[in-house]
Amino acid sequence: MAMDELELLKKDWQKKEGELPKLSYEEIYKMIWKKSSSIVKWIFYISIIEFVLPHLLYLLPSARSGFDMYNELGITNLFIGLSILQYAVVFYFIYQFYRRYREISVLDNAKQLTNNILRTRRTVKNYVIFSLSMILLIFAIIVFGIYSTDNLVAAFQLEGKALETSPEKLKFIFMVGMSIVGVLFTLLLGGIYFLLYGLLTRKLSKNHKELKKLEV
Amino acid sequence: MTKELEHRFVTELESNQNIVHKVCSLYTNDRDAHNDLFQEITIQLWKAYPKFRGDSKFSTWMYRVALNTAITLYRKSKKRVQTQNYDSVIFKIKADEYDDTQEKQLKLMYNAVKQLGDIDKALVFLYLEDKDYAEISETLGITEGNARVKMNRIKNKLRTLLNP
Repeated sequence: MAMDELELLKKDWQKKEGELPKLSYEEIYKMIWKKSSSIVKWIFYISIIEFVLPHLLYLLPSARSGFDMYNELGITNLFIGLSILQYAVVFYFIYQFYRRYREISVLDNAKQLTNNILRTRRTVKNYVIFSLSMILLIFAIIVFGIYSTDNLVAAFQLEGKALETSPEKLKFIFMVGMSIVGVLFTLLLGGIYFLLYGLLTRKLSKNHKELKKLEV
Repeated sequence: MTKELEHRFVTELESNQNIVHKVCSLYTNDRDAHNDLFQEITIQLWKAYPKFRGDSKFSTWMYRVALNTAITLYRKSKKRVQTQNYDSVIFKIKADEYDDTQEKQLKLMYNAVKQLGDIDKALVFLYLEDKDYAEISETLGITEGNARVKMNRIKNKLRTLLNP
């Protein structure tokens, strides 16, 4: 090859400067006051929603009447203990998230930057995995409560036809029912979450992988 | 004080805007996206400006922020400032400009470069901007040796694209 093609391209590239668009001072000035729509912003807001959302569920009236049910099933203490543990872990995650979020700087090199963003996002992923496990655990405790309780009828405020069914059969139906609801609920939430997670980080992960390949 | 900072920033960016336009033209395919990315890079530059110490050249500092935004931070968005119209983004060269073989070759090369992945594009961009391997490796966070190896691979890739 007589001449490196890229050298040729380089010459031409530098000639092309004159054809570039030119923005005025005022146009640039207006831009600095616009809101960023960067991926980091998106990750930040979506993560906040993900942190807050599971806790808003407790504000629903039906969730509060759930406490009566726990009482009847005799699992209130277990539930309170679990809640304390859960909040401690949630605060740990939020702290971790905030710390990593602060570390993201556009002045880092490309690899460090993608790495920091993905790490921040991974914190939220771990949090979601934790939340989903908690949901499953709570359902498991309810199933256990149903198994060990003697006043199933009072706990679920049953009336009518249900009272005619034998207690053993009723217990069995409720345990199976609760298990299925628990698993489906967790799968649904998890499905939505991981779809969102994948969409948000697809480009990032691809580029990060590419840079990682160049590391060794 | 803030006013002064704004003024200094906008003036510097105005005179160095070519760098941002070149990044935009490599990473986007139409004028709207070009403006969009330009705006996002401007926002990122402005946000980071207080940390710009002036111990490096403003333009050098811009390369990093602009590329990071294009590779990592940029997402498509609808909000944007209307800017004056310009007919085409660079590289959409009119056909009649390209009549001899070398010109055709160049057009093919621009097209080939645009088809590269985000990271490869960044390497080619810095190369075209006459940056040395030390700066390329520092901007991307890879070793100098790997930057060279990668660049050679990209050259080969382009060669095959051009001479099928």
